[in-house]
Amino acid sequence: MKHIFSTMLIFSVLFSKELEIGSSMPLMDHQLSDISGKSLSLKDIKGKEGTLVIFSCNTCPWVIRWEDRYVTIADAYATKGIGIIAVNSNEDRFDGDDSMDEMIQHAKENGYNFPYAQDPGSKLAYAFGATKTPHIYLFDNDDKLVYRGAIDDNAKSAKKVEQTYLADAIDALLAGEDISKKTSKALGCSIKFK
Amino acid sequence: MRNSFLQLFFSIFIFFPGCSKVDLAVSDSKGILEYVSSLKGEKAVLLNVWATWCVPCVEEFPMIVELGKEIEELDVVFISADFEEQTDAVYSFLKKKGVGGKSFMKEEKDETFINGLHPEWSGLLPFTILYGKNSGKIVDFWEGKETETKFRESIKLAITQ
Repeated sequence: MKHIFSTMLIFSVLFSKELEIGSSMPLMDHQLSDISGKSLSLKDIKGKEGTLVIFSCNTCPWVIRWEDRYVTIADAYATKGIGIIAVNSNEDRFDGDDSMDEMIQHAKENGYNFPYAQDPGSKLAYAFGATKTPHIYLFDNDDKLVYRGAIDDNAKSAKKVEQTYLADAIDALLAGEDISKKTSKALGCSIKFK
Repeated sequence: MRNSFLQLFFSIFIFFPGCSKVDLAVSDSKGILEYVSSLKGEKAVLLNVWATWCVPCVEEFPMIVELGKEIEELDVVFISADFEEQTDAVYSFLKKKGVGGKSFMKEEKDETFINGLHPEWSGLLPFTILYGKNSGKIVDFWEGKETETKFRESIKLAITQ
């Protein structure tokens, strides 16, 4: 019975619609468990100029290749009014590879300079229609989605990036200009819903 | 286009002594689709994008291999999305699972590769497409792991189209 329910849940997530550009940030009050030991919400993270939500985890090879750029982006834009958070929605692994202890260790090893929090019930992932990691959602200061997708066009190497999708989107947002590429795609690991 | 042909032409075939059954080529999406087109009129094609680290991919993998062996009118084409340094691991995995047909490793930027195979694919793995035997057109596709029943239903459809 549990198996059938899980299958139905996965099916519904796979076919649930991803948040459209222009949509409002959902579940801003949903309480997340941060590695600092504090409970926080997207409302707490929200920046003066915009908010960046990164669905991530500890073990996905694509996350591991890309996460150096999480730090670079946070370094470049946190002080410019962009609120940043990495959200781990892999509830099925909260007792294993994505436990709070493992997340604390992972953040420490990779120099995370932003909150990294568990999403109880994977509620944010459901609300965003997020299905994989890493996956990026950028909101403007009115909490409307302005960009979603990948960080850039090269997971393998920051040095070989040709298209800096996310940085370009944030720069345009801060300059009050239109974001030319509002969505992008990349391969990624499935979010491990319970 | 020219680049795609060249890439296919110069695809790196990796053969290990005594293991000539595994035929693993590096290619972009165009090269892969050209291979799929070459089977039009001969066989239905099941294209499955997977990776060694992808748990749901690995879980459904043996079932797909068995379907390929069982159904004569079906050609199964596995495409690994692993990074190039995992080539040996990919080769070993294919060999261990008894994959004898043509397989590929992705050599293209993610977004171009994803949209090249199917514009409605989000990039989530595994990803499966079925091409009709006679039409050569896409009959069905889905992302994520699926049941054997679903695979059999779509294969049946692909063989009749």
